[in-house]
Amino acid sequence: MTTAVADAHDTHEHHGPEKGIKRWLFTTNHKDIGTMYLVLSLIMFFVGGSMALIIRSELMTPGLQFVHPEFFNQMTTMHALIMVFGAVMPAFVGLANWMIPMMIGAPDMALPRMNNWSFWILPVAFGLLASTLFMPGGAPASGWTMYPPLVLQTGDAFPFLIFSIHLMGLSSIMGAINIIVTILNMRAPDMWLLKMPMFVWTWLITAYLLIAVMPVFAGAVTMLLTDQFFGTSFFLAAGGGDPVMFQHIFWFFGHPEVYIMILPAFGVVSEIIPTFSRKPLFGHDSMVYAASCIAFLSFIVWAHHMFTVGMPLSGQLFFMFATMLIAIPTGVKVFNWIATMWRGAMTFETPMLFSLGFVFLFTIGGFSGVMLAIAPADIQYHDSYFVVAHFHYVLVPGSIFALMAGTYYWLPKWTGHMYNETAGKLHFWMSTIFVNLTFFPMHFLGLAGMPRRIPDYSTQFADFNWMASVGAIGFGLSQLIFVYVLLTSKKGEKATDRVWEAPRGLEWTVPSPAPYHTFDTPPVKRVSEEAFE
Amino acid sequence: MTRDNSEQRRAIRRTALIMAGIAIAFYVGFILMGVLRA
Repeated sequence: MTTAVADAHDTHEHHGPEKGIKRWLFTTNHKDIGTMYLVLSLIMFFVGGSMALIIRSELMTPGLQFVHPEFFNQMTTMHALIMVFGAVMPAFVGLANWMIPMMIGAPDMALPRMNNWSFWILPVAFGLLASTLFMPGGAPASGWTMYPPLVLQTGDAFPFLIFSIHLMGLSSIMGAINIIVTILNMRAPDMWLLKMPMFVWTWLITAYLLIAVMPVFAGAVTMLLTDQFFGTSFFLAAGGGDPVMFQHIFWFFGHPEVYIMILPAFGVVSEIIPTFSRKPLFGHDSMVYAASCIAFLSFIVWAHHMFTVGMPLSGQLFFMFATMLIAIPTGVKVFNWIATMWRGAMTFETPMLFSLGFVFLFTIGGFSGVMLAIAPADIQYHDSYFVVAHFHYVLVPGSIFALMAGTYYWLPKWTGHMYNETAGKLHFWMSTIFVNLTFFPMHFLGLAGMPRRIPDYSTQFADFNWMASVGAIGFGLSQLIFVYVLLTSKKGEKATDRVWEAPRGLEWTVPSPAPYHTFDTPPVKRVSEEAFE
Repeated sequence: MTRDNSEQRRAIRRTALIMAGIAIAFYVGFILMGVLRA
């Protein structure tokens, strides 16, 4: 059907994948590595989700039920670390590995051996992190923010925590370098930067963010390590250090990290909505500029996480208004998605449902974010369940719904078969109902004054906590439908090469399932004109 | 990769080294900032 496909079949030096475990250990193929990232992130999603269920079981009724408070703190910390670094980030890297080379017409990632290394570092990092659960003193319990001096009270787990973070950071940096190098150097000849699909664009911006902030995080935890073991006092007040300095450095990393987890989600949704609206994306270029603008602003808003620490009024005003500014490019994006759907011939297959769920529910998280940006109001909301509600709306029906949407969207291209649409829709509706049941009551809990990171609470908070726990159990069970869809994904009817009625992009010009090697010869415009437009 | 193009390889190496340099500069720079404040 296209030159690219014909070339993929005609080139004689091609070979298929290795057999057995060697295929996965030594592979340099972007599709294999993408699959491994996605499988790892799914496992981590269930591990982190199990920890969330331990938290919600404990909080289902007032009083201490199942776990000691120390273990509860370990669960909140590990849940966050595993979900952020083990589930969401690797899942988007997996999508990037699978799709970016195919979307830009490249044969593979630019640095395939480093790609293999980037992946295989991760299971080691999470093995180290998980091993801390069995150590004297237990796993880290200071929250994912790891503020000193609290984090320095961690037992034997401390150096393991620091080393695993270094490994995760190394993996992310190498992955980001690979993505930037691939996009900048291996695009098809006719694919100018502003012609790139939005998923590629958002990942390019995300990769720049990763390169800028992951080393900062690594630097911060290196300083923690030297404070603990080598007699320095970067963050120890007793030695002349400044614990608040750690908070500044952490959030200089931590806030862009939020956009690292959401910008690729914007990209996924920007691919899906046009397909199921049967219209081109409205305002492609403005979407690129908006994403760039969000990325820039993410570097100058970090102290809105620290309003209660104390800072000059001018600092509060700067960080408050800079944070509010982010609503403008984000609003551009939401407007463009809606404008894309406007008068489109919309259909509501599972990827579209998850994308629509994303637009509605992520926006709720965005609104509560603007509320939290208001410095005097934040003094009230800080460290309450309102904050928990806010960031879970951004990350669960935000990032995770976009990941689900992307998986359903590209799954037929990966497997060559259509998934079970009925099960997919059931997965969407169950997830949407239960995610709201879990997190919406947390707004009320926070506004009523319930603090976060506590295993017990006053009886006045009992009803909403019970609702949230029931919702969490329901959401967890709903994800088993997703596993069922994945396990049966090769049993459906044969997928066509284009899979959907009106997809746009080079990935739809290759057969389904995508051959092991694609685009050894760059696609040319005359055979893929529609994909480039 | 069958698109064996030495110019492209050079460009890939150059971009990768620049990005790695930026990452190392941020890592060392922030630690240095901590050292200078102490």
